[in-house]
Amino acid sequence: MKKLSLAAGSALVLAAAVTGCGSSGTSNTSNTGGSTGTVSLNFLQNKPEVVDQWNQLIKAFEKQNPNIKIKQINPPNTDTTLQSDLAKGQMPDIVAMGADATFIQMAKNGVFKDLSNAPELDKVSPVYLKMLEQEVGKDTPYALPYTVNAVPIIYNVDLFNKYHLKVPKTWDELMNEAKQIQAAGGTPFYNGFKDAWTLAPIWNALAANTEGSSFIQDLKAGKTTFAKSDLTAAKSMQEFVKYGQSNQFGVDYNDANVGFAKGKSVFYAQGIWTLPVIRQANPNIKLSTFVVPATNDPSKLKMVSGVDSLLTVTNSGNTAKEQAAMKFIDFLLEKKNAAQYANAAGLFSTVNGVKNSDEALKPLQPYIDQGKVVDFDDHYYPPAMAAGNQYESVLQGALSKKQSVQQLLQQLDSLYQQSASHQ
Amino acid sequence: MRLLKSVRRSWPYLLMTIPALVLFFYFHTWPALHGIFLSFTNWNGFGPYHFIGLKNYVDLFHDHQVLHAYGFTFLFAFVTTVLVNVVSLLIALALNARIKLPNTFKAIFFLPYVLSTLIVSFIFNYLFSNVIPDVATQLHLTALSQNLLGTRWAWVGIVIVSVWQGAAFNTLLYLAGLQTIPDDVYEASSIDGASPWMTFWRITLPLIAPFLTINMVLAAKNYLQVFDQVVGMTNGGPGTATQSVSFVIYTNGLGGGELSYQSANAVVFLIVLVIVALAQVRLMQGREVQL
Repeated sequence: MKKLSLAAGSALVLAAAVTGCGSSGTSNTSNTGGSTGTVSLNFLQNKPEVVDQWNQLIKAFEKQNPNIKIKQINPPNTDTTLQSDLAKGQMPDIVAMGADATFIQMAKNGVFKDLSNAPELDKVSPVYLKMLEQEVGKDTPYALPYTVNAVPIIYNVDLFNKYHLKVPKTWDELMNEAKQIQAAGGTPFYNGFKDAWTLAPIWNALAANTEGSSFIQDLKAGKTTFAKSDLTAAKSMQEFVKYGQSNQFGVDYNDANVGFAKGKSVFYAQGIWTLPVIRQANPNIKLSTFVVPATNDPSKLKMVSGVDSLLTVTNSGNTAKEQAAMKFIDFLLEKKNAAQYANAAGLFSTVNGVKNSDEALKPLQPYIDQGKVVDFDDHYYPPAMAAGNQYESVLQGALSKKQSVQQLLQQLDSLYQQSASHQ
Repeated sequence: MRLLKSVRRSWPYLLMTIPALVLFFYFHTWPALHGIFLSFTNWNGFGPYHFIGLKNYVDLFHDHQVLHAYGFTFLFAFVTTVLVNVVSLLIALALNARIKLPNTFKAIFFLPYVLSTLIVSFIFNYLFSNVIPDVATQLHLTALSQNLLGTRWAWVGIVIVSVWQGAAFNTLLYLAGLQTIPDDVYEASSIDGASPWMTFWRITLPLIAPFLTINMVLAAKNYLQVFDQVVGMTNGGPGTATQSVSFVIYTNGLGGGELSYQSANAVVFLIVLVIVALAQVRLMQGREVQL
């Protein structure tokens, strides 16, 4: 008897080990049809700071649509999670994520639904729809832009007035103001360059405005190099680093946010996504922004702004699920909901007519409304170059070691060659 | 008939081993074989792929980032292995001497090993970026007023943390080794008038040589695979200065769409690790003595 139970026990273990991986998949699909007619959807979103906002929206949606249940998933590492979900054949039904390399690869490989005939396309900004299509490299919309970010220079209004500054229109003006602040014993910029990616926002603003609009295509065609086209950007970058605090390569992103919030510098070159974090560290701080004056010709200036969250539906082959997912997306695109989410996340909405109510973001709104925006350069770099902070690490290394502009650009070129060859 | 009999006699043992074997094969051997297979393709994690022969392997030898990672990893592993063994041998000798509260001290020295490497790294990251620069600024030590992890000495920071944490385990092994040496050998050497220094070199060290071998091999293997400390402290920075081989395999392979290419890197790294371990065992075993 004893022997028998032992045998049964180990057989169970074996069976569990063999079937373990497949079982969760089957249980997932079995509850979707359901006799009650409820559809349950998995909704993956990549921003940990807005989990509560999403839950509120989901709750409101479920109230209107009692037969659709939505479960929010917010994994710590979205890209890896999505890749393994895809490998397991368990993709979430709706995804809200950035327009990053993982999205592009998956869209190219037909993971997401083709939205070509969707009426929802008319509700959102055509500039950003086009941006998404360009990133994927096809004339097919695989996702709807939902919120977009922007890279401005954020400034501390009190300190800004203390040094009697006015909003700079050109790069030279900005650098002169920085010099003036430094001469008066202040710190112009507080940088968190220990985290390599924090070099990306300012780099993108400088590069996208100075390298020429055909740079990425020419780079791919072998007609240009970083060394040829990004010389101005690299020089400006070098100049910029001169006006950071002395330990800028030893401070990380979080500490930089806190440092700026506590008034350690006048300017802060970061994306608008930091505004809520800065206010959390110092609720009394008065903030405002201006577009990074990356050039000396203000008429040509564009603001770097990329899709922060896009909405996309997975091709599941299950029409009921896909219809329910589109219903949720329609709900999200309603002006009231879009405004609620964009304001909570501190971002701009792409839904036509929705404006962000944050005073600090007012100076940037015209650029969004008029479409005077340019996408992040690095969204078009090969995935191996952009993911894992590769090119940012090159910038970080070269700038912290005070290497020459040529050395910096050469390293970017060799990284590009290397990355492009493994795609 | 005999076969049947032996099976019948050993079936409880088979029952005990087979589940483990299946689990091990499914979760360890199979992924490893799969990785080796992938290293000959151009698969990036999803979508179609083709066989490309040895291209990935050839490319590895021209990849600055990968070569640099090997350079950093070996430098780090060498320095850390030597330091860990020196420090842990010293601690073990001290703990083995007649001291008060030996068990309390053993527990204290073993404590770092119980903590997760990632947590230790985060704590030290905080110390390096906030506490040490603040103290150094107060004391007007300009050299230390910068965050060590943001300078070209970042690797030293990682070594310090690794030694601080890693020495505990090796201390334990050395302590076990020291306790295998019988007292009469020491008695004989003291009667012959050997100095403590002489006793250490001529008696203690040769007699714990097997433990030295195993400690060196284990430490070298551990530190060649350094990963957690890098993630927790520098994330490979500044620049690419502290990217270890495991770190490159992980970040570029899983995040950068180079799954097959970094699989090839992992295969090469496996071979390198095996060669290092074999060479170490060969070199060191010659020095071991038996009582």
